[in-house]
Amino acid sequence: MTLLSVKDLNVCFPTGEGIVHASRDVSFSMESGEVLGLVGETGSGKSVIGQAIIRLLPTNANITGTIAFNGQELTTLKDDAMHALRGRVISLVPQNPSGSLDPLVRNGMQIGEIFIERGMTKNTAWDKACDLLVAVGLIPSDRIAKEYPHELSGGMRQRLTTSIAIAEKSCLIIADEPTKGLDYHARETTARVLSDIKTRDNVSLLLITHDLYLAEHLCDWIAVLYAGEIVEIGPAGQIFNTPRHPYTQALIRAMPKNGLVPLDGQSPSLMAIPKGCCFADRCSCHSEICSKEHPDLIQESLNGGVRCHHPSCN
Amino acid sequence: MSPPVLQLTGLSKSYGHGDIFSGISFEVGSGKTVGLFGQSGSGKTTLGRCIMRIENPSSGQIMMQGMDLARIRRGKLRDLRPSFQMIFQHPEVSLNPRMTLGESVAEPLMVHKRIGMDDALREIGPLIRRVGLRDEHLARYPHQLSGGEVQRAVLSRIFSLKPKLVVADEPTSMLDVSVQAQVLRLMQDLQKETGVSYVFISHDPDVMSVMCDDVLWINHGKGVMYDRSAFIDRVKTRYILDVPA
Repeated sequence: MTLLSVKDLNVCFPTGEGIVHASRDVSFSMESGEVLGLVGETGSGKSVIGQAIIRLLPTNANITGTIAFNGQELTTLKDDAMHALRGRVISLVPQNPSGSLDPLVRNGMQIGEIFIERGMTKNTAWDKACDLLVAVGLIPSDRIAKEYPHELSGGMRQRLTTSIAIAEKSCLIIADEPTKGLDYHARETTARVLSDIKTRDNVSLLLITHDLYLAEHLCDWIAVLYAGEIVEIGPAGQIFNTPRHPYTQALIRAMPKNGLVPLDGQSPSLMAIPKGCCFADRCSCHSEICSKEHPDLIQESLNGGVRCHHPSCN
Repeated sequence: MSPPVLQLTGLSKSYGHGDIFSGISFEVGSGKTVGLFGQSGSGKTTLGRCIMRIENPSSGQIMMQGMDLARIRRGKLRDLRPSFQMIFQHPEVSLNPRMTLGESVAEPLMVHKRIGMDDALREIGPLIRRVGLRDEHLARYPHQLSGGEVQRAVLSRIFSLKPKLVVADEPTSMLDVSVQAQVLRLMQDLQKETGVSYVFISHDPDVMSVMCDDVLWINHGKGVMYDRSAFIDRVKTRYILDVPA
């Protein structure tokens, strides 16, 4: 059944210099136990979507559209009802693990306080925290539990924040750049932990990343974002093997293993979105219509589509 | 064959609690790239910083232009500085946040050539355009730039001094895949144009395979040298997840 359904989500931020359109007309849906990857470059609006779902956007954000979670509309949900969902039913693995952990609290208690909040004794909470550390591969767990966040490497801190996110049996985990800046081993471990959670607990995962390797390895579905909008969405295999949008094609060609072909130019400012296709001035197959008319996302199946006047042109 | 630009012999570094690395020896030929590969915490960054003499090695030799950097006097080291430069991993802290990009990119020439800002900017102008920045960027502060733009600015700053060797410490690990491709290609092009040698530090085997002629794989403080094809073979046996069969 459909767990999460986002429809026509628009997020904008009024600033002194103008309105930043961070996310425009984003629609997608996720079934239970599925992994959807939101990929795209920095500033493409990926994190904003995740934060809109879990309602952690700054108060000046203007949000329109609907976000239905298990049939419940999240955008209009009362704060206390949202509070009951957040961290319990919908969890977030934040982007910056170092900034998300309390530097004065031992690693074990970073997780343990969740269980204490639930009414468990300190000892039981500590033991459960150690079990979770083992689950994410932080071994020996009893030693690591007694240490502080600064004694862990970046990869270990990332796994610690992941273990906090899985402490409650959530239905949906939003993982925001879980592998940013990690080395290969740490990436591999993080990927394994995330894929274990998915298979073991039938949790849905919204993976926000610019790490295409991770996306290819973990995702069932992928949505490619460019300048705040989805330009292509479809099954992961299809996106990687037969990408149709010129931007998706360029992203995949830019991967070192695919030849490191650079894509010239920059994405447009989110304060001055072009009238036509946002990708037109970087696209090798643009024509007159591209700079005049904004392409719609042409739905080819329930969750697949491409926003381009000339799909599959390369 | 021209002599190597950099030659390390038996380089070691230890802190109080033990060796970071020991007995590291390799050389970098003119116009070549040698990679330093290893996990987080393997000591590859410390090795790069020792080559730059930002840190002092415990023992061993760092030969560059006939001089041992490990034992050189400070004044002499300063004279040599323009010829070896470093790019750091985090673009957001690479530049002084209180200086405009123009001031930052002109600074090395002003310091080393003792010229004014206007002259420095005139001299560096072609290089700024070469790395893909425009004049409008020069008035901005680092926080108003993307990571890719900062790394381009750092490259123009470094190459204004016409270095013989650049130590690049994971210059693209914080960048998106498309921007990473732009920056790495730019580094390759600059190498072809200027004949600079790179010591390229990364934990990404795919990036290593594209950028490096030889790779020093650092594990538990020891380094083993592989040429590019041997490195790719070795990576395939070690990393199953990300290297497709």
